[in-house]
Amino acid sequence: MRLTALDEAAERIGLKRGQGLAEARAMHPGIDVVEENQTADRSILEALADWCDRYTPLVALDGRNGLFLDITGCAHLFGGERALLDDALSRLFLMGFDVRGAISGSPGLSWATCRFGRGGVIANEDMRKMLAPLPVASLRIDEITVASLQKLGLKQVGDLLAMPRAPLARRFGAHVLLRLDQALGSSEEPVSPRRPVPCLSSERRLAEPIQTEESILQVTHQVAALLKPGLEARGAGGRIFELVLFRVDGRVFRIQAGASRPLRDAGRIAGLFSERLKAVHDDLDAGFGFEILRLNVLEHEAFDASQKDFEGNGQRETSLAEFVDRVSARLGAASLQCFQLRESHVPERAVVSVPAMEIRSIGKREAKAFAFPGGDRPLRLFPHPERVEAVAAEVPDGPPFRFRWRRMMHEVLHAEGPERISPEWWHDEEAAAERDYFRLEVGTGHRLWVYRNGHYELERPPNWFIHGVFA
Amino acid sequence: MAGDATAQEKLFALREQIARLEGRPVPALAAAEQGMLAREPERTAKSNELRLSFGIPELDAALEGGLPMDGITEIRSRLSRDAGALSGFALALAARLQRQEEGEGLACAPILWIGDAASMQEAGVPYGIGLLQFGLRPETFLYAAPRKLSEALWLAETAVASGALGVTILEIRGNPAHFGLAESRRLALRAKAAGRPLFLLRHAGEEEASSALFRFLAEPAPASKRRLPDGSMLGGSIGQPSFRLILEKSRNPAPLSFLLEWNAHDRQFLPAERTGIPFPFGNEPAHSLPRLPASSDRSHRPPEMGAVLALDRAS
Repeated sequence: MRLTALDEAAERIGLKRGQGLAEARAMHPGIDVVEENQTADRSILEALADWCDRYTPLVALDGRNGLFLDITGCAHLFGGERALLDDALSRLFLMGFDVRGAISGSPGLSWATCRFGRGGVIANEDMRKMLAPLPVASLRIDEITVASLQKLGLKQVGDLLAMPRAPLARRFGAHVLLRLDQALGSSEEPVSPRRPVPCLSSERRLAEPIQTEESILQVTHQVAALLKPGLEARGAGGRIFELVLFRVDGRVFRIQAGASRPLRDAGRIAGLFSERLKAVHDDLDAGFGFEILRLNVLEHEAFDASQKDFEGNGQRETSLAEFVDRVSARLGAASLQCFQLRESHVPERAVVSVPAMEIRSIGKREAKAFAFPGGDRPLRLFPHPERVEAVAAEVPDGPPFRFRWRRMMHEVLHAEGPERISPEWWHDEEAAAERDYFRLEVGTGHRLWVYRNGHYELERPPNWFIHGVFA
Repeated sequence: MAGDATAQEKLFALREQIARLEGRPVPALAAAEQGMLAREPERTAKSNELRLSFGIPELDAALEGGLPMDGITEIRSRLSRDAGALSGFALALAARLQRQEEGEGLACAPILWIGDAASMQEAGVPYGIGLLQFGLRPETFLYAAPRKLSEALWLAETAVASGALGVTILEIRGNPAHFGLAESRRLALRAKAAGRPLFLLRHAGEEEASSALFRFLAEPAPASKRRLPDGSMLGGSIGQPSFRLILEKSRNPAPLSFLLEWNAHDRQFLPAERTGIPFPFGNEPAHSLPRLPASSDRSHRPPEMGAVLALDRAS
């Protein structure tokens, strides 16, 4: 067992990372050791990354203990780079974290100055000057290369900068030079954000935190109204919205809601979230309140402005869309299904269920005409055909006379069939059997759809299944 | 005399209150309307607009013109295995409604089916091609299967209140405690406000007090034979579905029984011939009484009169 992380006091008394636990205990019997929990570390880092969303939407995790924030174009919102850095560091310090931060023209240099320098804001013209006195380890290169560089007396980055590039590349690989260029900003290094960047977003920072659902909805309404000009400028309406709630203690809640057709109207956007908030009611712990509300548009689509006709048919369509949105927001998109027909002989494949959210216009006849099977199909179909037992049937391929289903004997009064349905060899494996379907009217008044799986064989009688119920 | 006049007034006020509770026109207004009708006969059509007629004169007369388009109609089955007949009858009504809408030149409003998990296990889920063959348009069919009864009720309420759906069909199993008179009253008020019907399907349910204006008991009846082009019947075939219906709750003094056949192609009900053989077992006649009175001095005594009348029926 080795030490993986140390606090300030432990560093002061001379412990080192990578030191054996037994050795450390022998040196300082009083030390307090906690087993490392990587998943917990990771989740707190992710929570911090969520919290940092307040500064910029482009937040990336860096290893196990760092965050990259791409603040291009964001700094002026907080009164400049210096103010932004001070604000972030002081807030995190107050939360109990020991944080270093730096702002510079390249992620590499910020990384280096945070860990090996004094941090702060570095102007573009000072980049070379700031990098030169740092140790070579600050270039984010592997330990073996660092050790061999040090062996050659190249202890500081400044030493590397003074060297001719070609021999360095030959001796240590192009990697070292790439890292050097990235730190100096001459080679681009992309920061990959954790979350997709919303195409539009608006937010409100509140002087007084809010707690109640009504006030959250009220602010959502105001924020949604701010989105409208942006959506109008693009000629679009939002399909998927995300409400980000920043709680005062740093926790961040994200609530998504989808709309079945592009939306711009603030009232209806707020309406989506009013259902979602009811659905997530228990999971949303307002605590001491939320200080920032942000509304993101994750997906948008072209918004066709529609005009109502005189009969008010347009009105009915919008209210149907509103209904679909409300239900999908409250119970989940999969809760409301629509049927779509497919060209297939196999009954269970001929109809697929599609979430109503994904269908643009419910009730519009599909343009494509299908050739539907000629045989009668049941009104209700079992998701899984049910096995029937003790079948007395006409051999080799007649209808059953009598069978047992759900622990009850059924006497067949009338039978129609067979309708033979072959498996689709392009979907099924070769072993799939042909089915002979019969419509039966049994003594209890049921009208059932029954099939025999496979052909009749003397030594291995075929299985019978009930697949559906007629009216 | 003065006391008589106040009593009259009080009686009149009470009548008005009852009429308002039942959602009927207030008697005074109704009388005025009658007068109007006498002068303008074409207004009759307008008053029938809010009714869904069966197209069978006797049944429509018993229902005062048809099923309400702004209220709840309950359809129950005695046994859960009658689910096919129950859903068939409800969907036939929905198909008639769509036909009525198309006849008026309106766009077809979708149908929402709120399924129940247990009934789905018992009888399966509605099947698109089957619906098409039954006279419905599958592209206007929405299907939901909420996990909990509270969600199903919320969904039904939202659906009815939105007014965007042609008809909402709510499937319920038995008589759950959380769906009582208060809940059904609430749904009825929503339906009244939006002017859209709600069909309540109660699988294997008992008669129970509810705000439904009418309640049917649906049972399967022997299907008719397939009709050949020359008018004869094809022996041994299974043709159009038939339902035996008992109108249990209505303004009629006694339950009425009907035998209807559904013609999916024309989307209309036909009175079925009663000549078909009844099912050999499993279906007792609706209100059965002992054929011979049991002797009065034994423990097994004939039931009291009140039990035969509709007194114990909660509605």
